[in-house]
Amino acid sequence: MRAQFPQRTLLSLALSLLFLSMARATRGCSSSSPQLLSQLQSQANITGDTRLLLEPYILLQELNTPTLRAACREYPVTFPSEDTLRALSKPHFLSTVYTTLGRIQHQLDALRQQSPKTKVFPLLERAKWNVQGIRNNIYCMAHLLNHPLETPNPTEAGSGASPSTTTTPSIFQTKIDNCRFLWGYHSFMGSVGRVFREWKDGSSRSRRHSPRHSLLRAWRKGASRIRPSRSSQSPMSRVQVPW
Amino acid sequence: MPSYRLQTIRPMAFSVALHPAFLLVVLSLKTSRSEVLGEPFQLTPEILTVSTESKLQQVNLQWTVPNLTHQELKMAFQIEISRINTSNIVWVENYSTTVKWNQLLHWNWKSEIPLECVTHFIRIRAMVDDAKYLPQNSWSNWSSWKEVSVQVSVAPNTLLIFPDNKLLEEGSNVTICLLYGQYLYNVSCMLQKEPIHGEQLDSHVSLIKLNNVVFHSVSGTNIHCKAMNATKMIFGTVLFVSKVLEEPKNFSCETQDFKTLKCSWEPGVDTALVWSQQDSQSYTLYESFSGRRELCDHRNSHNWQITDDSQETYNFTLTTENNLRKRSVNLIFNLTHRVHQKAPHDVTLENIDARKANMTWKVLSRGNNYILLCQIELQHEREVIHEHNVSVHMSASYLFSDLEPDTKYKARVRCADANHFWKWSDWAQKEFCTPEAAPSQALDVWRQVRSENGSYVVTLFWKPLLKSQANGKIVSYNIVVENQDRLSESEHYSVPAPALGTQLSLDPCSYKIHITANNSVGVSPESVMVLSNDSGHEEVHEKRIKGTKDGFHISWEPTSGDALGYVVDWCVHSRDQHCDLQWKNLGPNTTSTNITSGAFKPGVRYNFRIFEKSMQQKAQLLEKQTGYTQELAPLENPEVTINNFTSNSFILSWPSYDSDFQSAFIEGYHVYLKSKEMQCHPKGKRMTLPDYWVLCEYEIKDPEQKAFTVENLRPESHYEFLVTPYTSAGQGPNETFTKVMTPDENSNMLLKIILPMTLCVLLIIIACYWKSQWVKEKCYPDIPNPYKSSILSLIKSKKNAHLIMNVKDCIPDVLEVINKVEGPKTQCIVSGNPHNEDVSMKPPSSVPTEDGSSGSVPFFFFENFTYDQSAFDSGSHGLIPGPLKDTPCQLGLLTPPEKLLNVLEKDYMKSLAESPTEETSLIYVSQLASPMGGDKDSLATNPPMPGHCSEYKMQMAVPGRLPSLALSENNSLTSEILLGQGEQ
Repeated sequence: MRAQFPQRTLLSLALSLLFLSMARATRGCSSSSPQLLSQLQSQANITGDTRLLLEPYILLQELNTPTLRAACREYPVTFPSEDTLRALSKPHFLSTVYTTLGRIQHQLDALRQQSPKTKVFPLLERAKWNVQGIRNNIYCMAHLLNHPLETPNPTEAGSGASPSTTTTPSIFQTKIDNCRFLWGYHSFMGSVGRVFREWKDGSSRSRRHSPRHSLLRAWRKGASRIRPSRSSQSPMSRVQVPW
Repeated sequence: MPSYRLQTIRPMAFSVALHPAFLLVVLSLKTSRSEVLGEPFQLTPEILTVSTESKLQQVNLQWTVPNLTHQELKMAFQIEISRINTSNIVWVENYSTTVKWNQLLHWNWKSEIPLECVTHFIRIRAMVDDAKYLPQNSWSNWSSWKEVSVQVSVAPNTLLIFPDNKLLEEGSNVTICLLYGQYLYNVSCMLQKEPIHGEQLDSHVSLIKLNNVVFHSVSGTNIHCKAMNATKMIFGTVLFVSKVLEEPKNFSCETQDFKTLKCSWEPGVDTALVWSQQDSQSYTLYESFSGRRELCDHRNSHNWQITDDSQETYNFTLTTENNLRKRSVNLIFNLTHRVHQKAPHDVTLENIDARKANMTWKVLSRGNNYILLCQIELQHEREVIHEHNVSVHMSASYLFSDLEPDTKYKARVRCADANHFWKWSDWAQKEFCTPEAAPSQALDVWRQVRSENGSYVVTLFWKPLLKSQANGKIVSYNIVVENQDRLSESEHYSVPAPALGTQLSLDPCSYKIHITANNSVGVSPESVMVLSNDSGHEEVHEKRIKGTKDGFHISWEPTSGDALGYVVDWCVHSRDQHCDLQWKNLGPNTTSTNITSGAFKPGVRYNFRIFEKSMQQKAQLLEKQTGYTQELAPLENPEVTINNFTSNSFILSWPSYDSDFQSAFIEGYHVYLKSKEMQCHPKGKRMTLPDYWVLCEYEIKDPEQKAFTVENLRPESHYEFLVTPYTSAGQGPNETFTKVMTPDENSNMLLKIILPMTLCVLLIIIACYWKSQWVKEKCYPDIPNPYKSSILSLIKSKKNAHLIMNVKDCIPDVLEVINKVEGPKTQCIVSGNPHNEDVSMKPPSSVPTEDGSSGSVPFFFFENFTYDQSAFDSGSHGLIPGPLKDTPCQLGLLTPPEKLLNVLEKDYMKSLAESPTEETSLIYVSQLASPMGGDKDSLATNPPMPGHCSEYKMQMAVPGRLPSLALSENNSLTSEILLGQGEQ
């Protein structure tokens, strides 16, 4: 427990640095798609670490028993699985991640309000900002690749009221649900990071053949490939996002 | 770990048993009274509603008394509650109240079991209990049973746990109830990580009772259950166990300015829980006289504004409250008795000198009659050295005396109300430093005297003055040396601090030495020492003493009765060059002292000297004492040398130890001698060792004896020995024995004969060498050289040309002009005869030519002594026949061939260089006169050919067919023969 805090702090620091560098992107998107992709992959990988949120939450809520830990690790159906993400075309992938992150952001905010004056409160606050940053980068990535998302412009972190929390008849169940949500959040981000890595690897291979605008071409290729597909026009029909 | 005691639910047997007994007593009383006052009457209550509050597990009962005709009637009600079925009565309670006409009555009851889990039943009956009316002698009829239940539906394969999110206090008990849905069985529950078990009420309900729950976490204690047939589903509830709200402690209020009352307390543990179950406890202040109530801003203090100046007495109630409990403390006080005075101000220190200082300060006063009590403290190095209390009206002063010069102090003052002491104010403080004063104490001085080159070398030592004696920073030490023999002479020395000694070189006279210490203000009293002529030369007996681990006890015999005192001195480092002299001054009546030091080490010898100081400040050496705090075994053995080594004995000897380097007093030596089948001396101890070795041990009890003779040894035998010293602590290290072997018995005799003989032979050789010239002259004189003979000059002077033949005078028969022949063909032509000693004639011999013919070529040769002067000098003016037995140039042997060969090697190097392929024999032939001299080619092709020796100036041409040719058959000529020819 004690050993985890410095690691978490380091992770947070790394993420904050990434976020700082990304702050520029919120004002204006980067023109370098490889750089943006690399940044997105790093962000996703870092936020995929359970030491960032899940473990502190488990310890705070006294869920640190084998049974309860196992209960936490039930992957919520509300998050698209890695296979699902990998099967999506690139535009749909970006759109799905963007939408899912928006819901994650709201859920983190709700979770933050449930846990005032606790040790996880600042972590949740930071996580919310990080998610906002990743969303902005995804927005920029889509914009950069000439396929803007059908969503509003990147929002400032914290703007927009979170929906009022629903009635929680059982705090125990809420604890488990939150725990599962955090597990799902980290797993989802890990999956996103791996998909981005595949993009990067594919981009590197393509760049060897055509160094410039390979990602753009890859994107367009993906986009043109999905257009005829009905299902791809409605990614949400394949991915159930709960919020 | 939570220590919940699981308990089976039992009916409230005690209550049930107690209440009927109580009612019987009441009824008997009523009966007796009704008999007196008249006929009883019955009023049966009617239940209107029975409701529940699930969260609180509470049943609320509402009823009326329908037939009440009185405006008011005091009545008693009895309420019964049963669980599961009406016969299982779990609670009976009597409730008395005054009932008004048509009044709705209320009563509630909290169930220990969640109402969702079991059905309860409730009924009520009444009895008039009013003294104004005839008392009822019996209860009314019971109302009908009313069912109390909270309907919950449990879905199949699910489990409901009650109570949910229960808030309770640490130490309380709680009953958990599990409602099983259909198809669910084998449910196991855990409280955090501990399994918990319950009692099955029926097939769908079980109860778990937890006693004395403990606080686990602010986020609650999780209870989770899992059914065996639904492994993936987890059910649970959270118990929010709050810490017990504590009563505020040390609640007090005070004022500094009569405008604000500052109330403070110790709040105790925070009882807040997360998930909005419970906030931190609140604190409220209520003042009863003013009726004001204020919620406190902080959990441990609150500032209460004084709005009414006339209010002197305050009655405060501090209440703390959380969701479960409320606690209060009360405080009543007079405002003037709770005045916390502000710290004094304008603290100053005036007229500071080396010994005293005056402090002044002011206080905040509330009127002429207001008296404050002030406490003054003087601190030095955080230690209070002076404390005093004074009464103060507006301002005050205090004089600190007996201060130390050159010292930092901290003066501080605090005040309080003198009439109603409540609390001291904060300190007001000031630091100051007293100035320096002259040193107040004479230096503790001592000296060490030694003679060097006829003068005294006096080393003076002194100890630094204590701070309380120095009264400031010592700048220097002044030394005045007065010559007692020549009173007019005195010398002044100044030694800058922080030196603690100096060295003086003095003539051998009596001296009086004055030493003082100076600081910036003045001089210390002087210390005086007198050195007499014999200082440093005293000889006294040295006594051995035995020390302990703490030190040494030194005692001595005084020699005179008028001693001023005694001084004991010693070196801390006796083994080192740096002695670090220590001394101890002792009073006149002292004859012993204990010398202790942390620097004393075991195995180190310490030498103590005891001096007696006379009235004239003269120190006379009384005694020397030496000893060890702890004696140790010797650390090393002496280096032993062997003397007088014979076949039967030898002497072992070793040097003395430096006493300062002894680890103890050496008491003697052990000599060990080891050999095979050896006989020990009777004084030695014999020990038999393995392999027939015998060890003899000899003890030398005199430490001054440094030699030991080992006798009765066998010649040509191996012996091993070891010499080791011993002290009271043991002997030296067991080092390797030194091996020796005794010599042969005859070796000495042989030595006695051979040595003189050798010397004699050497002397004869030397003598022979010296006389070698003489021997040579006598035995082997040099052959005289006729050219150098005086006779020759005599003949020349007489111009007698007939005696010695001259070349010019020769009339040759045949004259052959010798030219250098080009080409390899060489030819020697011999003509003429030798006429003198310088000419050596060789018989002609066949010379191999280039064409391979080995014809007989006549040639002649000369021996030219000017060519080889060294050969001449060494008498080697003969020719080597050379290895050329077959060569035509057969040479006569006049000198030993090796001599000539040496000469040739030495002097004919040039020729060798020109003809590197030639052998030494060829160099030899370079002396030959050849008509084809310089023909190198011929040399290369026919090395043994004498032809190329012929480039030599012919000195004489001799006819080749001289009678001497007959000699050529002989192939060797003696010098005698040649001489004979020469003479001819």
